[in-house]
Amino acid sequence: MEIVVCVKPVPDAETRLRTAADGSTLDIEAVKFVLTGYDESAVEQALLLKEANPGSKVHVVSAGPPPRTEEVLRASLALGCDLATWVEMPPGVAPDPVSAARALARAVAAVPHELVLCGKNAGDDEAGVVAGALAELLGVPDYSAVLDLRWDAAASRLRFQRSTEAGVEKWEAPLPCVVALQQAWNDPRTAKLPAILKSRRLPIAKVPPEAAIPATGTTRPTKFELPPPRTGAKLIEFKTPEEAAQKLVKVLKEDAKVFP
Amino acid sequence: MPDFSLTPEQESLRDLARKFARTEMAPHAAECDRASRFPEEIYRKAFDLGLLNLNLPTEYGGSGLGLFDQCLIVEELAYGCGGMTTTVIAHCLALAPILLDGSPEQKERFLKPIGAEYRLAAFALTEPSGGSDPGSMRTLARRDGDGYVLSGEKCFISNAPQASLFVVFANTDPSQRHKGVTAFVVPRSANGVTVGPDDEKMGHRASSTAAIRFDDVRVPASDRLGPEGGGFSLAMRTLDHTRTPIGALATGIAQAALDHAASYSLKRETFGKPISEHQAIQIKLANMAQAVQAARLLTWRAAWLIDRGQKGTLESSIAKCFASDAAFAVADEAIQTFGGYGYMREYPVEKLLRDAKLTQIYEGANEIQRIVIARELLRGYG
Ligand SMILES: Cc1cc2nc3c(=O)[nH]c(=O)nc-3n(C[C@H](O)[C@H](O)[C@H](O)COP(=O)(O)OP(=O)(O)OC[C@H]3O[C@@H](n4cnc5c(N)ncnc54)[C@H](O)[C@@H]3O)c2cc1C
Repeated sequence: MEIVVCVKPVPDAETRLRTAADGSTLDIEAVKFVLTGYDESAVEQALLLKEANPGSKVHVVSAGPPPRTEEVLRASLALGCDLATWVEMPPGVAPDPVSAARALARAVAAVPHELVLCGKNAGDDEAGVVAGALAELLGVPDYSAVLDLRWDAAASRLRFQRSTEAGVEKWEAPLPCVVALQQAWNDPRTAKLPAILKSRRLPIAKVPPEAAIPATGTTRPTKFELPPPRTGAKLIEFKTPEEAAQKLVKVLKEDAKVFP
Repeated sequence: MPDFSLTPEQESLRDLARKFARTEMAPHAAECDRASRFPEEIYRKAFDLGLLNLNLPTEYGGSGLGLFDQCLIVEELAYGCGGMTTTVIAHCLALAPILLDGSPEQKERFLKPIGAEYRLAAFALTEPSGGSDPGSMRTLARRDGDGYVLSGEKCFISNAPQASLFVVFANTDPSQRHKGVTAFVVPRSANGVTVGPDDEKMGHRASSTAAIRFDDVRVPASDRLGPEGGGFSLAMRTLDHTRTPIGALATGIAQAALDHAASYSLKRETFGKPISEHQAIQIKLANMAQAVQAARLLTWRAAWLIDRGQKGTLESSIAKCFASDAAFAVADEAIQTFGGYGYMREYPVEKLLRDAKLTQIYEGANEIQRIVIARELLRGYG
């Protein structure tokens, strides 16, 4: 099976975020960009499908500026993806979701693709737009919030589940299609040290973005602010559950006045 | 121009070690310390990820890292747990003499199995009669037919309880003192090898340490590393390669102590303000930060020199000695910053002091490092 996974460089949740001087972007000076939750799940799913279906190839694609985009592509190669394509945006330009979908669609259309996997949302803006837009641009159906994806070779069908508020739905679908994966139903693997070293030397195909895609995109953030620091929290220190309960009741009665 | 930035490749190696240290090692550090437990499952995971055979070349299934990259990883691991990191570096220490003086056939025979599956090795130099003066060792290797017969005792050998092979230094001609020292590879399964009980230690309690007795152990000549009498030089060349990672290990402990102290100082309030606003605490933190950075940079420089093919005896001794003294001092100040809580087992900093202490002792006590530093230094004058 020809599998394509689309990934996005997202700020590491462990780095301290700050707004840039212009007030509408993130100060990326000290930010580390990584593969996050949904995308890690998508890569893991692609690798599991490849392992279960010998002869399959996994091609990872990302659209974005240097150096962060190269880093997530190399991280994906280190995990076991076979090929990588980078739609190289100018430094500092991170595409908005629709521009990203257009850039990815062009790159995906140019390579063999039967199954296209994405994370359900990006770990940073949580827009959840790319998979649907990508499917539309490729002219194939898309399925979102998917988990437990398997290929039934005998029936030539994908079999998977969708988690919805009403419960879990069971689906089957033919190829080609785009599938947006739910986060972390699988336990994504960690790249091994020799694979990390090897991934630095693997080629990454670079393609220029379509000239028609404006660098500023179709949507643009106007203001970016960090949530106000939380106040009013009270930490109760305790040694035993009894002590915790007693202290909590005291706080609820005397400070919060929830009880008389 | 010197360049202190890491390459993207080095950053990704460091990130792997950092993630492993913080998610796999640190959560078990206190428990293993308390129970003196050797967490084999963690070492197996380290093996799987390529974080165990750091210095083993890729052709034998290892990670094949240069010394600088090894140091980046060792610092991160030690941040998670110094004791667990000792298991890793003691293993690499045992591989080094085979890599240095092993014949191609010996490397194939001894190192391939180590790269292929989780197995530990141990480096057995120290004896009860004294670790600082290996020339006076009493373990003998008597020529017998086409091989040798080993008898004697080694002590304080890291990984001895679990290792499948030992690199053992023994004297083939005691009249020659250090010029009679010869190195052998001895499988644990050899007849006459007895490993003593696990030593009860002050720190690094997730690592294992024991004595090994050799009662007329037959070793074929094909398992001798290098020539007869070449063992002392081999041990010294080995330590030239493995001293620097002790600097990295100490730096990791020191960084952990600084991080704990700084975050605690922002939360703990006395006299109506966080203790981080008392100048006495600020001065402590400032001194700790200087020590940590100096330790790291000295370690990096020694590793960088050795990777460029220099011997680096002076620089690696300086790095090991400075970083280990710094780690002890920084852990001490971290406890002081925590006040009474720092003295309690429930808080993480007292373990750091106990762990830092060992880095001043093993792989050449700091008194010996200072002798080496002065000797190398004075060479440049006379
Ligand atoms: C937890 C642990 C793990 C270890 N792991 C290993 C291992 O895997 N393999 C191995 O071979 N060894 C190992 N060692 C041994 C370690 O390397 C020795 O303990 C160390 O070299 C010191 O030797 P010693 O303990 O015999 O002290 P001694 O040599 O008896 O020294 C005692 C004191 O005298 C000082 N001293 C000695 N000679 C001089 C001198 N000429 N001038 C000034 N001061 C001097 C020393 O610095 C020290 O302070 C380990 C030790 C420990 C504690």
